[in-house]
Amino acid sequence: MQEVEKIIIKSFSGEITREEKTLLSQWLNENTENETYYAQIKNIWQVASVNFNPEDINLEKAENLILRKIKEKPGSLQQKNRSLLIWWQRVAAIVVLPLILSLGYLLYHQNISGGNEIVYQEVISPAGTCSKVKLTDGTIVWLNSKSTLKYPTVFSAGKREVFLSGEAYFEVESDMKNPFIVKTKVMDIKATGTAFNVEAYDSDKITAVTLIEGKVKVNIKGKDDLNIVPNQRISYDNQVNTYSIETVNPYKWYAWKDGVLMFRDDPLEYVFKRIGLTYNIQIEVKDKELALHPYRATFEGESVDEIMRLIKMTAPIEYVTEERVLTRDDSFSKKKIEVYKVKQ
Amino acid sequence: MKKEMDDFHVQKENDSYWLMQMSKNDNNAFTVIFRKYYKDLVLFGGNYLANKEVCEDIVQNIFLKLWNNRKNLMIETSLKSFLLKSVQNACLDELRHKKIIRTHETYTQIFGNTDDIDTSNYILYSDLHEKLINSLEKLPEIYREVFEMNRFDGLKYKEIAQMLKVSERTVEVRIGKALALLRQFLKDYLVIFFLLNC
Repeated sequence: MQEVEKIIIKSFSGEITREEKTLLSQWLNENTENETYYAQIKNIWQVASVNFNPEDINLEKAENLILRKIKEKPGSLQQKNRSLLIWWQRVAAIVVLPLILSLGYLLYHQNISGGNEIVYQEVISPAGTCSKVKLTDGTIVWLNSKSTLKYPTVFSAGKREVFLSGEAYFEVESDMKNPFIVKTKVMDIKATGTAFNVEAYDSDKITAVTLIEGKVKVNIKGKDDLNIVPNQRISYDNQVNTYSIETVNPYKWYAWKDGVLMFRDDPLEYVFKRIGLTYNIQIEVKDKELALHPYRATFEGESVDEIMRLIKMTAPIEYVTEERVLTRDDSFSKKKIEVYKVKQ
Repeated sequence: MKKEMDDFHVQKENDSYWLMQMSKNDNNAFTVIFRKYYKDLVLFGGNYLANKEVCEDIVQNIFLKLWNNRKNLMIETSLKSFLLKSVQNACLDELRHKKIIRTHETYTQIFGNTDDIDTSNYILYSDLHEKLINSLEKLPEIYREVFEMNRFDGLKYKEIAQMLKVSERTVEVRIGKALALLRQFLKDYLVIFFLLNC
């Protein structure tokens, strides 16, 4: 009995091991007395110390809120508004992207009428969207939110050169004779047949390349070439002009292309920046200490509201959402979220 | 004891009375139920989720559903048990729903054991807490001390062991003893609920 009691209280505190857990469920299944005993003890345990101060639960406020809600018809307005917004976002994504594509194509064709001149095409991934492009050489590029890729309609012999501002994941078609070069503001990445991710947002102080497979040469501002091997990430700090190479879990750095947001002990500030980028909202962390709080989670396919709620459950945060409002020029303002440290 | 039993009978009768009234669109009946259980349900949710607001949201949603389904509610147990079970399911869903939880280390901290509690005999904080505090007085000092250090001061078993210069195992045994004794003291009280809910 004493053994069981020990296991029971370990199960309450979450320190129970797998084997003990098996023992406990065996014991519980023995008879209903055991089950009742366990339920009663757990009841006492839980009631002895509750997670929230009962005084802090505002009954009156909750009552007013719920009475107001039940006066509204079920299937409330809020729900409809939200799905409408999602619908519009989808429509926008479907309509806007090809529009930009063809427009860009047309403009370049009109402007450049020379015979041998390289004709460029530009793909823009607007804020909150992600696009996939297949280049003429077979290379596939995933463009993250707020990113632009410029590439020639036909690659000239000897090199395949593209220009990137923002973030993109490349799966380069192997061609030893014609190296593939990604040019960004501060670095050039030279590859033959590889897969790698490039982060090169103009607004960021860090420019980085993560190599998934193959080999790449990274050239920072015309200095010597740096070779990196798979699972390495080179990051260059534009402000202090230094670079570092580290071994990483590469998937974390290009999971975005699969619609996955992966965080592994990353500071909350970075977490919210990535979420903001993915969903085109502005998230501000209002507390310096909180900004550095390490956070681990993987999100896939959740709405931003849901992600915020989940983070709130698992990190000491509180947040205020400023909904989008119609501005003077008849467009909607960007959704804003302010994040605070939870007061306790 | 007799008197107490009667009280509980009345309480139980009341619930079915208010439920019936509610099914006739009586707003007040809903408010009575809401006031009676809201706080305790939020506290109960706290056993699963560490965030008070999330728990409040969950409980409010459950009450909203209760109202929306007032015409065709099928409650086989007691209303209390039904509400507790709803809160428990919603909290577990919330936790299971997302992979994030599986990868997140606070999962075990908050959640501890995944076993769901049989809610039919569960006694609410408001009903049990005071009695529990009184019973604590009756515990031998050696057990009471560790129990309070863990439950009231939030110290981990390991920390208590260090402070008292005993082994972690000893702490676990003492807390186990404390619980067993408390259950003994509160047994009659716990059984009344059990009988009434059978």
